[in-house]
Amino acid sequence: MSGGAWVGRAVPRREDARFLRGEATYLDDVELPGLLEAAFVRSPFAHARLGAVEARAARALPGVAAVLTAADLDAAPLPVGAIEGATVADAGHPVLARDAVRYAGEPVALVLAETRALAEDAAERVDAEYEPLAPVLDPRTAAGAPPVHEHVPDNALVRWSRRHGDVDAAFAAADTVVAQSFHIPRLVAAPIEPRGAIARHDPGTDVLTVWCSAQDPHRPLAQLGSSLGRERDRLRVIVPDVGGAFGSKGAVGVEVAAVAAAAVVLGLPLRWTEDRTENFLSAYQGRGLDADVELALAADGRILGLRAALFADLGAYLYATTPVAPHTTAMLLGGTYLIPAVSVEVVGAATTKVPTGPYRGAGRPEAALLIERMVDVAARELGLDPIQVRRRNFVPPEAFPYETPLGWTYDSGSFERCLDAALELGSHASLVEERDRARAEGRVAGVGVGMYVERAAGLWESADLRLEPDGRVVVRTGSSPHGQGHETTFAQIAADELGVDPEAVEVVWGDSGEVPPGVGTFASRSVAMGGSALVVAARELKQRAEAAGLSLAELVAAEGGAEASARFSSGLVFASGAYLAAVEIERATGRLRILSLAAVDDSGRIVNPLLAEGQVLGATVQGLGQCLVEEAVHDEEGQLRTASFADYSLLTAAELPPIASRFVETPSPLNPLGAKGIGEGGAIATPAAVANAVADALAPFGVRHVDPPFTEAKLWRLLQGDPL
Amino acid sequence: MKPAAFAYDDPTELGEALTLLRGDGEDVKVLAGGQSLVPLLNFRLARPDRLVDVNRVEELAYLRRDGDVLRIGALARHADLERSQEVAAGWPLLAQAVRFVGHAQIRSRGTVCGSVAHADPAAELPVALAALDARFHVRSARGSRTLTAGELFLGFLTTALEPDELLVEIEVPLPPASSRSAFVEHARTHGDFALGGAAAVVGPGEARLALLAAGPAPVRAREAEALVVAGAAAAEAAEAAVAGLELTGPGADWRRALLRELARRALEEAGA
Amino acid sequence: MTRRIAVELNGILVEAEVEPRLLLSDFIRHGAGLHGTHVGCEQGVCGACTVQLEGEPVRSCLLLAVQADGRSLRTVEGLAPAEGLHPVQAAFQERHALQCGFCTPGFLMTIDAFLRDRPDPSEEEIREALAGNLCRCTGYRGIIEAVELAAERLRRA
Repeated sequence: MSGGAWVGRAVPRREDARFLRGEATYLDDVELPGLLEAAFVRSPFAHARLGAVEARAARALPGVAAVLTAADLDAAPLPVGAIEGATVADAGHPVLARDAVRYAGEPVALVLAETRALAEDAAERVDAEYEPLAPVLDPRTAAGAPPVHEHVPDNALVRWSRRHGDVDAAFAAADTVVAQSFHIPRLVAAPIEPRGAIARHDPGTDVLTVWCSAQDPHRPLAQLGSSLGRERDRLRVIVPDVGGAFGSKGAVGVEVAAVAAAAVVLGLPLRWTEDRTENFLSAYQGRGLDADVELALAADGRILGLRAALFADLGAYLYATTPVAPHTTAMLLGGTYLIPAVSVEVVGAATTKVPTGPYRGAGRPEAALLIERMVDVAARELGLDPIQVRRRNFVPPEAFPYETPLGWTYDSGSFERCLDAALELGSHASLVEERDRARAEGRVAGVGVGMYVERAAGLWESADLRLEPDGRVVVRTGSSPHGQGHETTFAQIAADELGVDPEAVEVVWGDSGEVPPGVGTFASRSVAMGGSALVVAARELKQRAEAAGLSLAELVAAEGGAEASARFSSGLVFASGAYLAAVEIERATGRLRILSLAAVDDSGRIVNPLLAEGQVLGATVQGLGQCLVEEAVHDEEGQLRTASFADYSLLTAAELPPIASRFVETPSPLNPLGAKGIGEGGAIATPAAVANAVADALAPFGVRHVDPPFTEAKLWRLLQGDPL
Repeated sequence: MKPAAFAYDDPTELGEALTLLRGDGEDVKVLAGGQSLVPLLNFRLARPDRLVDVNRVEELAYLRRDGDVLRIGALARHADLERSQEVAAGWPLLAQAVRFVGHAQIRSRGTVCGSVAHADPAAELPVALAALDARFHVRSARGSRTLTAGELFLGFLTTALEPDELLVEIEVPLPPASSRSAFVEHARTHGDFALGGAAAVVGPGEARLALLAAGPAPVRAREAEALVVAGAAAAEAAEAAVAGLELTGPGADWRRALLRELARRALEEAGA
Repeated sequence: MTRRIAVELNGILVEAEVEPRLLLSDFIRHGAGLHGTHVGCEQGVCGACTVQLEGEPVRSCLLLAVQADGRSLRTVEGLAPAEGLHPVQAAFQERHALQCGFCTPGFLMTIDAFLRDRPDPSEEEIREALAGNLCRCTGYRGIIEAVELAAERLRRA
């Protein structure tokens, strides 16, 4: 573990000045001569056979350069990702629709014009023939619905199951079995900067350069390479400053592939700047999971077994990451607990909606909600304190590394310490007193806890390090920021390893022509993997100097600069934590008020507490949004009813409740920094804690469970004693 | 998401604006603050042939007390209402209501008359003006007329204004002497569209109650007003205020309960 | 059919020939080439495009460029001195009030006008003033704290 002066310090961000002065370069700020603007013709139907696409009137408009359909582009569907042990259908997203459309908003044709307004004028004049088909909306009943893809008659795009221990015996031996069904709605990631791409093809070198608003250059490089049939030496991806992603800019969108393919066909530079409506309709959405979960317990609260069936609403096609979230949910269903016998089945259903994919937490929030709600439901059934039931079942500190029955190995953790810290930070005892006093006055109040484990990091990441004779240090990292603050944290790490000032460190990222091949930024992996690669490269340089009997500075002077490259690989690491929520529900209106939240995260070693707390707060408020207001709603025709910020609200500063944050540091043994991940805990644990607090508040009204979001109308009806 | 093309005029004289509004067969729309119209243009839900931008008609830019009435010109912005000492002193309900209109960036540009002409039943000022018995002065090249709230607001986003008419001024009489007022509303997030709301004015022998998002247009709860004057408790009057509302669709029961609670709070805050 | 407009943008006169339907946000970004003003929803909700028109904060996505003819505009590029940061910008950095930075210029232009009108705001007033700008990264607390810090420093200055 590095023990220098910079890692662990709350250093303000060095990259802030360009953002604050309006000097950052986001995608739509990149200017190239002769850029044409793109607009897409999108399907108005959730499901239809697609006939002829008539574009003569559109092409005739002055200022319109081209209208392209699937037949005009040389592009295969985007690649489908594999999941260990899963059956995954070949249902990649076609770059433009060919014979059918399978969600409202699916791109059918691409228009290129001198301005975006002209491109939209032309898009309106494209006349496509549709023969509407029945929409498929519910993942629970999709198996019996008409097939979304002819070659997948049961609409199961993904199937996965795992069983460990004697589950039937565990349930037979149980004193109590509790069962609960869940519906976790789809959410929209809604980065304030929507997606977008610029593509330029150089016919001389046959190099296609694609700028795109993405989480890293590596996955666009691989996915566009696959779709367009381009080797890496003829494709370059540049990621500029990115205005938020939250998982939604990980897999490259079909629109990006369409624009890239069109740039080759037309030989002209093209730009697509996604607008908000498009982002709602066609950026992959998050969550979308139904579940039936059963827990078998002994009378003393020991969990004996768990059985679960998960029905994921995957949407019309599989993006590379679409199967990841339900698989992660399944693998993490045991949460922080020792559960000897487990059986989980996952069906990822095809529906006629935009595909789903990772959104902050990506399967982990669903797992935490399911298992944490089940523990509370069971505790109430058994007449036990839910906190005691948790203590009775925690994986104890001495059990690490702990291989779960589902097959992942938790590297380290201190679950009870996290819980204790949260109870203290949030003043649990006085929250309970307050709740009881409120109830005595006829008010509706509740307190709830949510534990979580977060799969983070894994795979590998790269770093190239160069020490210049003038004292500058240049770090080229495969990791890539979109708000996390890599330029600051990576400089802190390099400064400690090399004994230099962070100001001397330049961090280069985002351009596949500049940075080494890498994996990318997702799953809270940047510091643990990219930071560790940097540590390994620095240590290699130091060892080289030591072997030569020189100081680092002498080595650099002798060689006119010194370089090292490293790839760091590790198994998965597991962050964890405990959140505590106190809520009150207004009796007359059903409005939910979050009175307080206490957030305790164990992310291993923290490089920069200021930035780490920023991640906790941001993720927590996204989690609160899921509890209070966020829900993507499709109507019976499959149309998205929440397709703007007027219908899909994000929380504002006025709704922010008091949030206290604290870190427990159980270092990971799997990397030299001891780091885990900090990006998602708040989004994972907040819905679980709030859901438990809401259920606690409604328990006196005979309510056992409520699905998020906890809207006024829903809670009011429960307070009236109406079934939902 | 860019507007479809339109022709554009920005006259500086009212007469010129009214002439342009005649349209001669074109679909012409008035552009004032634009805070409701421009989103509709951006979504291409509104596709006028021509916009008549009245922002340069200086004679419409006023907000002033004139004896016992407040005169709100067509170019008075929400922010003007919000900052006016005269409004705060004489028409506190308007000052209370305007704070709920969107956000500062909306209020700095949006106009009071524009909000009224847009006639969104979830908008604050039409409800507050209905509670204050405001009168609405309308002009066209054909002449002028004056409407009450009941005559003006016909339904969801629908008023009695003809396409060539401009709402040039709102005239608001002083509320009853020694009355108190209150405005309450409920939205999912701050500044989001209201899911319900209530405006109340209560004074000796006088009560006004108007409801927001309680139907296709602002609702004056006359029966509840009579009950308050007769000495009924706020809760009882609130019950009467929502009893006759025609609320339909999912969540109608909850909306009724919400409006009942908001009506009660508004009446109590106003001293009923 | 276009119109010639002349706009005072951060104190500099900018002239251009524009279509009536061109949004002010697009004129600022692509006509005048000032990329600090961002577009997030074109519906007047997110606040990323907030600029000051004659000193007042407005949504530039809800104005037409032709409406700014003869008026003065201020954008984030007009906020900072040539070197260093404006006090609100400095407070943003110290309180980690930005992550991806996309919403930040809109917040800054809102806050600058707000603190001019209310130099000593309560926390409640700050939260209300910020509610017209959406941030998906920070959870807002750093932004609220930055406004408090900047207000205190501006009062002392």
